[in-house]
Amino acid sequence: MRASGPAPPKAGKSKARRVIGKVVRYGLLTLLAAVVLFPLYITVVNSLLRPDQIAARPPKFFPFDPQWDAYSRAWDGGHMSRYLVNSVIVTVAITAGQVVTAILAAYAFAFLEFPLKRTLFAVFLATLMVPFEVTIITNLTTARNLGLLNSYAGLAVPFLATGFGAFLLRQAFLQVPSDLQDAAALDGYGHWRFLARVAVPLARPTVAALSVFAFLGAWNQYLWPLLITEDDEYRTVQIGLEQLSRTSIDQLNVTFAGVVIAALPLVILLLVFQKQLVRGLTAGAVKG
Amino acid sequence: MSHSSRSSRLVRLIALAAAGALALAACNGGDSGGGGGGTAKGTCPVDALDKAGEPVEITLWHSMNRANEEVLAKLVDEYQAQQPKVKVQLINQTSYQDTFEKFKAGLSSGDLPDLVQIEDTGTQQMIDTQAITPVQACIDADGYKTSDYLTRVLDYYTVEDTLWPMPFNVSNPVLYYDENAFTAAGLDPEDPPKTLDEVTTYAERIKAAGYEYGYGLKLDPWWIEQESAKGGVTFVNNGNGRDARATKATFDNEVGQQVFAWMDAMVDDGLAVTNSADGPSAVNNLLAIRSKKVGMTVDTSAALGTISQVLSSGEGGGVKLGVGPMPGPTGKGGVLVGGAALYISAKSSAAKQAAAWDLAKFLTSSQSQAIWAAGTGYVPIRESAAESQVIEELWVREPGYKVAYDQLVTGVENVATAGPVIGPYQAIRDVVLAAEQRMFTQGTSSDDALTDAQRAANEALAEYNERIGA
Repeated sequence: MRASGPAPPKAGKSKARRVIGKVVRYGLLTLLAAVVLFPLYITVVNSLLRPDQIAARPPKFFPFDPQWDAYSRAWDGGHMSRYLVNSVIVTVAITAGQVVTAILAAYAFAFLEFPLKRTLFAVFLATLMVPFEVTIITNLTTARNLGLLNSYAGLAVPFLATGFGAFLLRQAFLQVPSDLQDAAALDGYGHWRFLARVAVPLARPTVAALSVFAFLGAWNQYLWPLLITEDDEYRTVQIGLEQLSRTSIDQLNVTFAGVVIAALPLVILLLVFQKQLVRGLTAGAVKG
Repeated sequence: MSHSSRSSRLVRLIALAAAGALALAACNGGDSGGGGGGTAKGTCPVDALDKAGEPVEITLWHSMNRANEEVLAKLVDEYQAQQPKVKVQLINQTSYQDTFEKFKAGLSSGDLPDLVQIEDTGTQQMIDTQAITPVQACIDADGYKTSDYLTRVLDYYTVEDTLWPMPFNVSNPVLYYDENAFTAAGLDPEDPPKTLDEVTTYAERIKAAGYEYGYGLKLDPWWIEQESAKGGVTFVNNGNGRDARATKATFDNEVGQQVFAWMDAMVDDGLAVTNSADGPSAVNNLLAIRSKKVGMTVDTSAALGTISQVLSSGEGGGVKLGVGPMPGPTGKGGVLVGGAALYISAKSSAAKQAAAWDLAKFLTSSQSQAIWAAGTGYVPIRESAAESQVIEELWVREPGYKVAYDQLVTGVENVATAGPVIGPYQAIRDVVLAAEQRMFTQGTSSDDALTDAQRAANEALAEYNERIGA
């Protein structure tokens, strides 16, 4: 962002003008932040209002008499507790699987020489061009034949590898200077040690970005979990949200509470990985 | 991308192959759903349950919201208590649409329920799956009497003289209004508007009394279908698709033109505000009464139970909810049956089909329907259920519930009020909605909008019929 690199003050420019500039800039940023945060804020507020207050006009922007029971109703009655556990298990498995398989595949495409390398990479890329919806019926039949319906394996296994991740990391690995490879080879590093000690640490922003991307994708899945699960035992938060959103008008607050519960893990994730994310997004933007 | 021309050609080749595979898959899907239309009427193995040695386990996929699911679960519990030979697994597949999608996916993968609740609009598509045992076959094989079921409801789900699903939850559109708004405008709260012209007059008075708008217009194509039926005209040809598969839309007629012109005028004159019928914002239409933005609106009777308490509760509520029949052309027709029905899967074993039929009978027994209607606000689908004590008490306490039942049973019985049977139902709703929006936002005349919609609907019908090989 621009704020990170303000131009050094020119000699003779008055201090007052700099202060005003700063105030204007921060004012503008605050306004933009408010625009972005408002939907989140009003979701939390609505989850604490009574249903008839949500419907009231003018709308209420502050819950003077917060009704916390909406959360317990979403948690217990809406089965969000069970769904949250399922989502966490499946999402962590998918994220870990994608990162590991992508690192290994990308390493091969970046550092190893083997026959048909270019062709195989093209095949990898081709998988990016087939939308998941196209293969969904085939996948469902396969999962059924393997006995994976209504299980964590059925939820996670189809997503453990990703062409996108392999592509992204290969590009990152290609940035590793060949001098480092030579130096590592001289030091007697094998492939595994080079991978673990040099390649992955250097590509850390990309790995982090891929993790977050995989996490978001897995967390927000809807169609596949709906198709492969049979009952509440294995269903995920997004299905729970759909069920909640179809509750009647007198339970709008419970729906909002469910939204907050489902979004919370993502918010925590973003706060924890904020630095890596920004670095990942800007990695490669400037070439030295 | 930065690879050699050879590998990028390969990428294109693979993409092409993938597209080909997709087309092939689509063809296969079409074939399995196509064929001879309504000729395969099927048989129903009603005796298989008696012959079964051990308890038969069946699954029921449904789409009820949480409050209604509780009532359904209670009914199923009661069923299990009196029928030890059947074990029912009740599975909530969230929405009607998702249930239907999952069912269609299951036709290929084999993951299917034994009994499934499908929305009113799904009739033709369910017949076209050729994976359904028509309830009619079970009725005939079992010698089951249906004379107590409402004729209007049976008619709605009867195509080519075959009753396909067991009707279950029935609703229809009613007029919701704020009696206090009527009083403020000098209108009689006991006398809601009956025709569209009267709605205009009432809306003018309510607006003059200080309301922002008189009427909330929910952009729901369902309502256009309802008004067609109320005006006694068909929506598609071939007896509304009941004598033979529909090939042309017929809604560009006198009634359709009246309704479109009325909507256009109401919005143009600032008497009506439009509300989306999509997703979570669908409730805004009813909430507009609560916020005193409008004095009246038309919405599904199924919402009555929950909204009455929200609308009239809380500080500064001041809304007294009134319910009246859906305004529209009078004398020639009646409202359509809305809601959903239960289909028996023909892919299930004989014992499971028999068990599914047994459960369907229980869920629509007089007693079950009384409990169901009282607990959910749906219209009871049996006369004896409507006459039961629990329903009579409900109707005294909440007269609004009676409105939906009365306007259904007093409707004229004809091909128009039996309702349209359409394969590409959603596609046709989409074009009708698009026409409404063009009328409101681009100033297209109501006649042109309707003509365009009918042309697009004809294309959708032709495309669907071609795809399934009819």
